[in-house]
Amino acid sequence: MAKEDDKSRVQDKGKGKADDAKPENGINGANDATKDGKKDGDTGLPATEELSEEDQKLKDELDMLVERLTESDKSLYKPALEAIKTSIKTSTSSMTAVPKPLKFLRPHYEKLGEAYESWPAGEEKDSLADTLSVLGMTYSDDEDRRDTLKYRLLAPSNSDDIGSWGHEYMRHLALEIGQEYQQRLDDDKDVHDIRNLVMGSIVPFFLSHNAEADAVDILSELEGIEQIQKHVDENTYARVCLYMVSMVPLLTYPDNDRFLRTAHDIYVRFNQLTQAMSLAVRLNDMELIKSDFAATSDKALKRQLAFILGRARICIDFEGEDADDVELQECLNNTKLPEHFKSLAKELNVLDPKIPEDIYKSHLESSRTAGLTNTDSARHNLASAFVNAFVNAGFGEDKLMLVEGGVKQSWIWKVKEEGMISTAASAGMIMLWDVEMGLDKIDAYTYVPEEQIKAGAALAMGIMNSGVRLDSDPTMALLGDLEGKSQPHKLACIMGLGLAYAGSNKEDLLEILLPLVTDTSLDMETSAMAALSLGFAFVGSAQSDVSEAIIQTFLDEDRSTQLKDKWTRFMTLALALLYFGQQEEVDVVLETLKAIEHPMSKPASVLAEICAWTGTGAVLKLQQLLHICNDHIEDKDEEEEGDKKEDGEKRDVSGDQLVQAYAVIGLSLVALGEDVGQEMVLRQFGHLMHYGEANIRKAVPLAMGLISPSNPQMKVYDTLSRYSHDNDIDVAINAIFAMGILGAGTNNARLAQLLRQLASYYHRDANALFMVRIAQGLLHMGKGTLSISPFHSDRSVLSRVGAAGLLTVAVSLIDNPKAFILGDNHYMLYWLVTAMNPRFLVTLDEDLKPLQVNVRVGQAVDVVGQAGRPKTITGWQTQSTPVLLGHGERAELEDEEWICLTNVMEGICILKKNPDWQSP
Amino acid sequence: MGQSQSGLGGPGSGGDKGKKGDKKDKPKYEPPPQPTTRIGRKKKKAAGPNAAAKLPTIYPTARCKLRYLRMQRVHDHLLLEEEFVENQERIRKTKASASQAPTSAAGDSDAMDRNADERSRVDDMRGSPMGVGNLEELIDDDHAIVSSATGPEYYVSIMSFVDKDLLEPGASILLHHKSVSVVGVLTDDADPLVSVMKLDKAPTESYADIGGLETQIQEVREAVELPLLHPELYEEMGIKPPKGVILYGAPGTGKTLLAKAVANQTSATFLRIVGSELIQKYLGDGPRLVRQLFQVAAEHAPSIVFIDEIDAIGTKRYESTSGGEREIQRTMLELLNQLDGFDDRGDVKVIMATNKIDTLDPALIRPGRIDRKILFENPDQITKRKIFTLHTSKMSLAPDVDLEEFIGQKDDLSGADIRAICSEAGLMALRERRMRVNMADFRSARESVLKTKSEGEPEGLYL
Repeated sequence: MAKEDDKSRVQDKGKGKADDAKPENGINGANDATKDGKKDGDTGLPATEELSEEDQKLKDELDMLVERLTESDKSLYKPALEAIKTSIKTSTSSMTAVPKPLKFLRPHYEKLGEAYESWPAGEEKDSLADTLSVLGMTYSDDEDRRDTLKYRLLAPSNSDDIGSWGHEYMRHLALEIGQEYQQRLDDDKDVHDIRNLVMGSIVPFFLSHNAEADAVDILSELEGIEQIQKHVDENTYARVCLYMVSMVPLLTYPDNDRFLRTAHDIYVRFNQLTQAMSLAVRLNDMELIKSDFAATSDKALKRQLAFILGRARICIDFEGEDADDVELQECLNNTKLPEHFKSLAKELNVLDPKIPEDIYKSHLESSRTAGLTNTDSARHNLASAFVNAFVNAGFGEDKLMLVEGGVKQSWIWKVKEEGMISTAASAGMIMLWDVEMGLDKIDAYTYVPEEQIKAGAALAMGIMNSGVRLDSDPTMALLGDLEGKSQPHKLACIMGLGLAYAGSNKEDLLEILLPLVTDTSLDMETSAMAALSLGFAFVGSAQSDVSEAIIQTFLDEDRSTQLKDKWTRFMTLALALLYFGQQEEVDVVLETLKAIEHPMSKPASVLAEICAWTGTGAVLKLQQLLHICNDHIEDKDEEEEGDKKEDGEKRDVSGDQLVQAYAVIGLSLVALGEDVGQEMVLRQFGHLMHYGEANIRKAVPLAMGLISPSNPQMKVYDTLSRYSHDNDIDVAINAIFAMGILGAGTNNARLAQLLRQLASYYHRDANALFMVRIAQGLLHMGKGTLSISPFHSDRSVLSRVGAAGLLTVAVSLIDNPKAFILGDNHYMLYWLVTAMNPRFLVTLDEDLKPLQVNVRVGQAVDVVGQAGRPKTITGWQTQSTPVLLGHGERAELEDEEWICLTNVMEGICILKKNPDWQSP
Repeated sequence: MGQSQSGLGGPGSGGDKGKKGDKKDKPKYEPPPQPTTRIGRKKKKAAGPNAAAKLPTIYPTARCKLRYLRMQRVHDHLLLEEEFVENQERIRKTKASASQAPTSAAGDSDAMDRNADERSRVDDMRGSPMGVGNLEELIDDDHAIVSSATGPEYYVSIMSFVDKDLLEPGASILLHHKSVSVVGVLTDDADPLVSVMKLDKAPTESYADIGGLETQIQEVREAVELPLLHPELYEEMGIKPPKGVILYGAPGTGKTLLAKAVANQTSATFLRIVGSELIQKYLGDGPRLVRQLFQVAAEHAPSIVFIDEIDAIGTKRYESTSGGEREIQRTMLELLNQLDGFDDRGDVKVIMATNKIDTLDPALIRPGRIDRKILFENPDQITKRKIFTLHTSKMSLAPDVDLEEFIGQKDDLSGADIRAICSEAGLMALRERRMRVNMADFRSARESVLKTKSEGEPEGLYL
């Protein structure tokens, strides 16, 4: 259809010119030979005197040939037709003008058409049809004629060499086919002949002439994209697949799935299993993943595939001999992750632990506030504990928690009560992924009499185990037993389990946690946390047991008193997480929720919907969400007046407020993963901030943070920095947190400076200051080596677990930051762990030994649809692995000594020696 | 602006949050330390705060469904925005009319009165006349160092009603005549000379008014118009479209005429300048003008810059002691840089015209700066015929006129000469009060034109 536009523009231009010219000078001079006005031919003879000699000769010759065709002497037909064809084919002219033979033949078109009708069937007739088809192109101004196609279909025998008419003709034919197909579909007519034509000649022509885009386009018009598999070869498949995959986010449901599957099949056919695997992960199709895995017997390749799955946090059970391969299992379970991470840290020379003051750099803060801040309050210390945890995450060493003097010397005694949970849990963050080492260190905290510290230690176990799996499963053993534990301890255990087994679909968890959800005698806090943990463990699996249990809870009479509890929202979130990325599948649960009379059912359905459509960029969903944001504004009015009215009424409104806030978050989640939409939705946020009520305004900064986690774009943080001085302190706090998310793990200097200024601006406001510190900690997460972006594999695959973690923290902040993060439940921040991943490139040899090679790291370039072989990165620097990869950066090998088993150099890659390589 | 203060508990008109925040903060409690980073500096980088409002660029540029889909996505989002904003405005209006509370910003007429009232008050505060100055430096949100044309620099306050987003170092600002405080910003800082060059009214000459020159028209269109209309064609081929063309040839062969036709035909911004205009009195003014010319062109892209008589500044460089000569050379150097310098010009195409291409500096016309050199020759017979028909088509001719006679003659006539013959013939007929031009008129006209032509210039200057 783009083509259609282009086409008609070209023609309009031509037309317009001729029309303009004529009235102006009132002579036939407009029929100038170079003019591309297609109408020129109509006037016919008067123009002859203006033609140059050659033109005149050509015209006479063509006139004569046409004359012959209309006469009755059949023996002359064939040579005449051949002569016409040759003259058309050999004519070249400007891009803007119609080839001359076509122009001269145009007046005879009708005559030839009549001649065609009168001829008896036979070779000549077909040949004439062929010619007429080309001439039909000149009549394309007329939308409904489609003569090119008509005569093309009438001349089947010649269809092998239609490519010889040239590219423009083929494109025109493709355009007419698209139109005709639509019309025939509307009229319920047979489309068989068109399909044959496309498959038989057009697609192969496009593919062999570097027009992969056209080939894919025409097939997608005909709804037969699967057919492309037959035609691609090893030269074209890469470009075809790239084009198809980049179209996926813009297509609607059945199409996008078919595109992905077709691309996947092509990759499998050409033995590009790593690319096929990432598409399979994107499709979330376990069968495909397994079959891809089974498709190779190459050990190294299998390991590479396992690494890809490990990054996506997908676990599969190996079959056959793979099951005994310990190393393969380790690849899948990320067991070696801490080792690789530390090798990167060593390379970058950031092994030394940092203390919070290194991050705050308070000597750089404006001097008049120095000394005013109470640097030793418990709250401040708690912030430091968080900062310490984020900054030293994964390094296994710090100066606050795991100090030499053991527990007695640790930071934990500097905080109070609930603070101890988070502080103790921060030890787990420092030992992130390194379960074997970490168990000993954390063990020390479990023997302390304080219940909170025990709880914190339990949570630390969970955090530490996030994203890695061990056969011995120590976490399950240590946290699985909830009997006889105190309330905070129990809660921490539940959360720990959720963190450790996020995305694992582990059935054992059902036994432990499901009773907690259904047990009505428990308070909402425990049940909601259990539900949330289940939600994480079964994220995106639509596990029916869990969803039924949660819905049952909503229906339960005994619970109805508790439903106003602030924890209820996590119950709804848990339900939503189960349907993460399920798209249409979510409708079932939405219908069920509709039937439930419950203040939380509406927020629950909105949450479920946004989770289901996360990362699709579906505009219709965005529209629905926006409607939510605008329809309820009247309710707000009542709410303002209703402040004096009874409580009951106010509650109802708060449910609606939550709905709107979720809808705002949803805007950013749905728009994720599609660059155009992502940029456009930022504009939307501006409007929401402008018109929205308080509840919407609180959610907007969070949504802006979610849209580009770990990707500090200037336009986003400029806006956020403005919001961070908002009159509404909640908006400001959320904006500060969003700034942290935005820059998480990047060490972005500008953001750091902005945050320092905020620290001195808010030095009197303990809550805001706490949040500034957290944001600073996030910004320097892992000393700038981690990322919380939920996307991986060249920003194409969305990690459900990561997005779920981000969403959970956002939900806990959404309407009132004081409810959780700034209140007593600051440990909810640790849900972010699920999104944390090192943003590195580590290269291994086939035996999984670290390998140092030179790579070029540079900004990724979108090469879709570009001619030739454009470079995929720009502005690169050569470094030796392991290296850090920033957002939107790509790496490629410097020389061809090694071959990378995966085409996306990211995370852990296995290299193979290139057998053909000769050192220069 | 954010003048309509809404009374309903502060929701709704969140207009300029930053500014509103400032207003509200002050009376309530001690003013917090103002963040000074935001205003005054951010404009320097091109991305700026407006970057968020810009639409994303769509790749790939080749025509394909992917591009169409992406464009459609942008379109859909814009529709969503429109819908949302419309709804909100409607809701706001109904709310305002429903609650005619005295505190609210109230109905339209009321608001209008208030606006007019406020505007006049602001005008009072601004005073008159206002001085025009230059913003040197921003100290904080409320203060700045300014300099006026007379010389001294002042440390002055910035009035609260000034749009601070527009303030950037180097901006032209309005100053109160007594207190010298900043009361306004002059936004358009392009030289008025440059805006004059912008062509508001298209010339009437179209391609149809050009006799012959088919190949030249085709080449110009391929190099100038087509890249602006269909960049994807070049993208598909994997080449960069040409940046500019130079038209050269003997006088009167239609170089400027062709440029006029391009201007007539194109919908792109057409900037025209004559080479001699770039020679300025003061040192550095010429290069500055060139810079501004291209800046304006880039702002209004897609655009076509036509520089006539380029030999005025584009002659070969040579050792010169004269300051004026050197200045002209510097002007050309700036032009060189603008044509193919470090910054990408984007959708700016350049057409130059000269009749002395051999005197031009080779650097100016090297490929990359000027990719196509288009020669205009004196017309051959067929072209002559066309030109004659063109010019005589509106004249009333006597039946005895046979133009073939002139066409057949081997005179070295340019297009302009032919035009002169025609009008001269017309004048002669006029002199004798005839209503028609006859053959004799043409003959004598030709004589006189040829005579003046050979007198006017020595033979054989143009090859």
